[in-house]
Amino acid sequence: MVESLLSLESVSRIYGTDVEVHALHQVSLEIFSSDFMSIVGPSGSGKSTMLGLLGLLDVPTKGNVKVNGVDATSMNDFQRSRLRGDAIGFVFQQFHLIPHLSALGNVETALLYRGLSPKERKKKAAESLGKLGLGGREDHRPVQLSGGEQQRVAIARAIVTDPLVVLADEPTGALDSENAENIMKVFADLKSPERAVCLVTHDMEIADSTDRKITMKDGEIVQDLIQGSEK
Amino acid sequence: MKRFIDLVRVAVAGLTARKVRTLLILLGPILGVGAIVAAIGINESSKGYLKAQLQDLGTDLIVANAQDSLGGFGQTPRIPEDATERVSRLPDVTSVTGTYQISNVVTLPFDAAEDYYKAFPVPIIATGLNLPETMEVPMVSGRFINKFDYEQSARVAVIGRDLADEYGYLRGEQRTISLNGIDYGVVGVLDWVLLEPSMDSAVFIAFSTAEKDWEIGNQDPTRLYVRAPTNTQLVAEEIPTVVSLGGPDGARTSVPTDLLNAESQVDESLNTLTQLMGGLALIVGGVGIANVMSISVIQRSSEIGIRRALGHTRTTIAMQFLFEALVVGVLGGIFGALAGAGVVWFTSWSRDYVMILSLSSLVGWSLVSVAVAVASGLYPSMKAARLEPLETLRLG
Ligand SMILES: Nc1ncnc2c1ncn2[C@@H]1O[C@H](COP(=O)(O)OP(=O)(O)OP(=O)(O)O)[C@@H](O)[C@H]1O
Ligand SMILES: [Mg+2]
Repeated sequence: MVESLLSLESVSRIYGTDVEVHALHQVSLEIFSSDFMSIVGPSGSGKSTMLGLLGLLDVPTKGNVKVNGVDATSMNDFQRSRLRGDAIGFVFQQFHLIPHLSALGNVETALLYRGLSPKERKKKAAESLGKLGLGGREDHRPVQLSGGEQQRVAIARAIVTDPLVVLADEPTGALDSENAENIMKVFADLKSPERAVCLVTHDMEIADSTDRKITMKDGEIVQDLIQGSEK
Repeated sequence: MKRFIDLVRVAVAGLTARKVRTLLILLGPILGVGAIVAAIGINESSKGYLKAQLQDLGTDLIVANAQDSLGGFGQTPRIPEDATERVSRLPDVTSVTGTYQISNVVTLPFDAAEDYYKAFPVPIIATGLNLPETMEVPMVSGRFINKFDYEQSARVAVIGRDLADEYGYLRGEQRTISLNGIDYGVVGVLDWVLLEPSMDSAVFIAFSTAEKDWEIGNQDPTRLYVRAPTNTQLVAEEIPTVVSLGGPDGARTSVPTDLLNAESQVDESLNTLTQLMGGLALIVGGVGIANVMSISVIQRSSEIGIRRALGHTRTTIAMQFLFEALVVGVLGGIFGALAGAGVVWFTSWSRDYVMILSLSSLVGWSLVSVAVAVASGLYPSMKAARLEPLETLRLG
């Protein structure tokens, strides 16, 4: 039996105290190390909420989140943050680059406080940018980059730590179709036996191009489809 | 250590990204520290000049002027020889010199200058032989009047340094000056007497000579200069009694450096006041830092969110903002201290003060600036650490 990389065990997430919003209801999910998957569903169905829990950015109201079989819900902030930094790479719809830092500086941010020398950090960050075709753009600020380029910097930042899982919340949502296509090519290239990639998307074409498609509705997983694509 | 350096780098990057804002929040600590350092420095430097002067002068010279204790009129009161003897035998007294200023004598460097020197007469002082020792003033050239001159009632004179310049007297030159037409040979030039500047343009002659040439009646002085290195105040109080011994003679004493001494004391209440005001300025600056940083945390919530997503802990986020405050405090302290020191330097330079800046006040107030800044950064930092990353990232 294959060990799951990330798993949710009947996880619920309830927002608010006065007015409770049941964003996730007893969801269980296993992500394996070579997964290339997508999450689809109507707005408000809990996709982002689930991604946040998978990425250890949030803690469930009920249930457990496990990374390599280790329960992360009982960890303290320090342990959880460390694990997040090591195991998870995030990509967001809004890129979330730090505006006052260069492309290189943004990628380097993922490597801070890990005992690396600035030189090592810069080297790794530059390599990562190079992988995404941004060699030569290291010193450019986010405002000097196009949306597609910004998203590629964000992806470079997500993978520079060599994470087990890349979690992307509508990574093409803010891009035109041409840039979206390019970014999807980048994600397709991230596919690897050692790495899981999980995309939240509204684009059915993108969803259909992944190997596994999870459909959500009203805070529950209603379908988990292995798509036997070309491969 | 690496983590510490990383934090400083991140904080500096955050601060340099918003230069104008950073400059504005720096102004608080800079003005606060600068004002305090400047105020204390100027206060102390203005006194420093006096203190340096006091060091030069020594504070142990007493001047005793003869005074007729019965209030007699007409005759100039004198201090009789036996009284001078008694003063010089006082235990703390090391040196006593009597002087008598002769009036109505016109001194001329050469005959043609008569009109000028009649209008501005030069003081002629009959003096004891140890005046240079008592005043602690060296000769610029030549020698002072000696025992031989005294015994011979010789017509020799020593002149003050300013008078020598005025007369164009050359070092070691054979020269006579004319006192009411009587020629006196100049044997030496006395250096400046800081405690008795009138001596700088005076002519000194021996008492015996004065008695012979200028009808001063006897050789009793009108004034005593008394050097008492220990118990100076006590000696000053004793002298009138020692002089009079119940008789008609009297003396009034003063210590010329007393006034200077009082002036040279730093005004503590003024210092306290300026430090209070400066402390207040620092606190106002601190409130400014807290304010600006709180707004900054809201504006940078997305940055905070993504840093959390990248694995930075809550503590790291708090430290990042605390370090920004720390850097502001350190820079504010350094530049404030430099600015204050600059003001003190300029003031001292333009007013001829001796610049005094205590390192402890520079370092101390810089540290206060750091403490205030860090305290001000505490609340914004906690706020930044408490932000929920998912919420800040959702807002974009
Ligand atoms: N911080 C919050 N406080 C209260 N309710 C929240 C909070 N965050 C999310 N919700 C609610 O939880 C539900 C799920 O939200 P979520 O963002 O996960 O949906 P989503 O599937 O990502 O939607 P979209 O496709 O629009 O991004 C929604 O009803 C939303 O309003
Ligand atoms: Mg969403």
